[in-house]
Amino acid sequence: MKPVVVTGMAEINSKDMDSIIPNLNEHFREMRFIHDVEKLAIAGVGLLLSDAKIHFPVGSTDIALYIGIDDAIEGIKDEYFNSVIKYGILGSSPLLFPFTSPNAVAAQISIAFDIRGESITIPVKYSCVDVIEYAVECITGRHSRMAIAGGIMSSGLRNKGLRAEFSLLEDLESAVGRGARIY
Amino acid sequence: MKNAVVITGIGLVTPIKPFMGVDIFWDALCSGEDAIKKVSPPILDIDREWLMAGIDMSGGHAGLQGGCPEDKLHILAEEALSIAMMDANLQGDLTIGLSIGTVLGNILLKEKRLIRNKDGNITGESEEGESLSYINSFLKAKYGLKGQGISVSTACASGTDAIGIAARKIIAGKSDIMIAGGVDILSDFAIIGFHSLQALTEKKVQPFDKNRSGLALGEGAAFIVLEAEENAVKRGARVYGKVLGYASRADAHHLTGPHRGGRGLADAINEAMFQANLKPHRIDYINAHGTGTVYNDLMETKAIKASFGDAAYNIPISSTKSMLGHSFGAAGVIETICCLLSIKTKVIHPTINFEERDPECDLDYVPNKARQQEVKIAMSLSAGFGGQNSAIIFGES
Repeated sequence: MKPVVVTGMAEINSKDMDSIIPNLNEHFREMRFIHDVEKLAIAGVGLLLSDAKIHFPVGSTDIALYIGIDDAIEGIKDEYFNSVIKYGILGSSPLLFPFTSPNAVAAQISIAFDIRGESITIPVKYSCVDVIEYAVECITGRHSRMAIAGGIMSSGLRNKGLRAEFSLLEDLESAVGRGARIY
Repeated sequence: MKNAVVITGIGLVTPIKPFMGVDIFWDALCSGEDAIKKVSPPILDIDREWLMAGIDMSGGHAGLQGGCPEDKLHILAEEALSIAMMDANLQGDLTIGLSIGTVLGNILLKEKRLIRNKDGNITGESEEGESLSYINSFLKAKYGLKGQGISVSTACASGTDAIGIAARKIIAGKSDIMIAGGVDILSDFAIIGFHSLQALTEKKVQPFDKNRSGLALGEGAAFIVLEAEENAVKRGARVYGKVLGYASRADAHHLTGPHRGGRGLADAINEAMFQANLKPHRIDYINAHGTGTVYNDLMETKAIKASFGDAAYNIPISSTKSMLGHSFGAAGVIETICCLLSIKTKVIHPTINFEERDPECDLDYVPNKARQQEVKIAMSLSAGFGGQNSAIIFGES
């Protein structure tokens, strides 16, 4: 089996994300965010790639995204549909509707960082263990060389905020080849 | 792909000949039956007609508010799953995993809760049964599936990715047998959302036609049984075909529009072909994503040309969605079953409503009439919101 190592880690709560975004680079400072979920995801992945010493924009298919999301996405659906209920068809926002799809988080990450590898979104309930496991399988199976694996979670938080946790998983050969720090 | 994965069971429920079995469905599809109709469902207070393909469960406007049972999602999923399991003749104490693609999940429950509480402007965590991961745990419990359960939500590529993930789980040795499928139902939520994006046609669904004007929404459920070839041989199972290659790739371009040159889809095709160790001329048939929108069909044509070169002009390509509409998470699995049935029956279903050739979409889209042709290797393509792209290749056993 091909060894898989962790070469980057990031954990962030929604209350901290506003302080992260301005430190990424000018491109991110100019981004307009529709919802906190995507903002948190961008901040989390920005931290992760910086930690793993991966330059962005990535601009290749070398990195895959395996993203778990729990009911954090449901708040966006509720917001969208409540507006339709209130204002009828005029309440349907073409800006907000695409964000009701769970993969919108991975999509925004791929667009923001120009990550063109695999992109898989896995709805989860309490943890992202299945997501991490699948990412490892994809690397050992040589379907991906590097993977951002983790997720956005809303459950289990006392302050009702959101939490993002991401790891950069990589095959050992790749990590050694680029001189990465291995956790 | 190393360690061959084969398909030993298929089952589906679609707007064409629902609940009547796979063979009758396939005959109707190959005869060009169009399930997309103009209806005036009671969507909130909006009075207008919409083109869509619904599954009639009760004589009303199935899938729409007031016209169908709340648990339609479960009924469709159970029906399709049961057919696939029976088809595969799964008996005994087997450890079976379940991989399901869904985009909307049981959105009807959420709609009803929000409408019921409209004055309270309720937001927050979903109730039991609404979560996207719920349908997987529900079906696992109902059918006693003891293997791993995994849900996938990659927009309109969800079904194809659910199959790809299931195949990889078998290759990784996590399970000998995986059932993979997709299910989604029509809802006010989706209809109004796609309307706001101006993605719905008001005329008819005409994939790859010069005058194509948008997609129609549909619904359905479809499941296939995948297993390690060794396991299938050991238990004497009938084999529909093998999974030869699968890949997902991101456009990294735009949340709702595809990359205009088909970059991500071409990347997915190329990687799937690499995994299958195939040259372009070996592909006998492509089941396209083929939604009927201006941008998707052009992007898809460009991606196929980029990947296959001159060989693209010799590959028959057809759109199942020209007859069934777009059933979100179920679409990729329904289209996979079409590929397997083309391999089995040596018939390629048509792309209907094809009237005028688009100079930019100049490939062979099997217009309006089914074609008798031997299909040894078939590819199914899926694309979706967020720049999702997936390609999966099946070969005869």
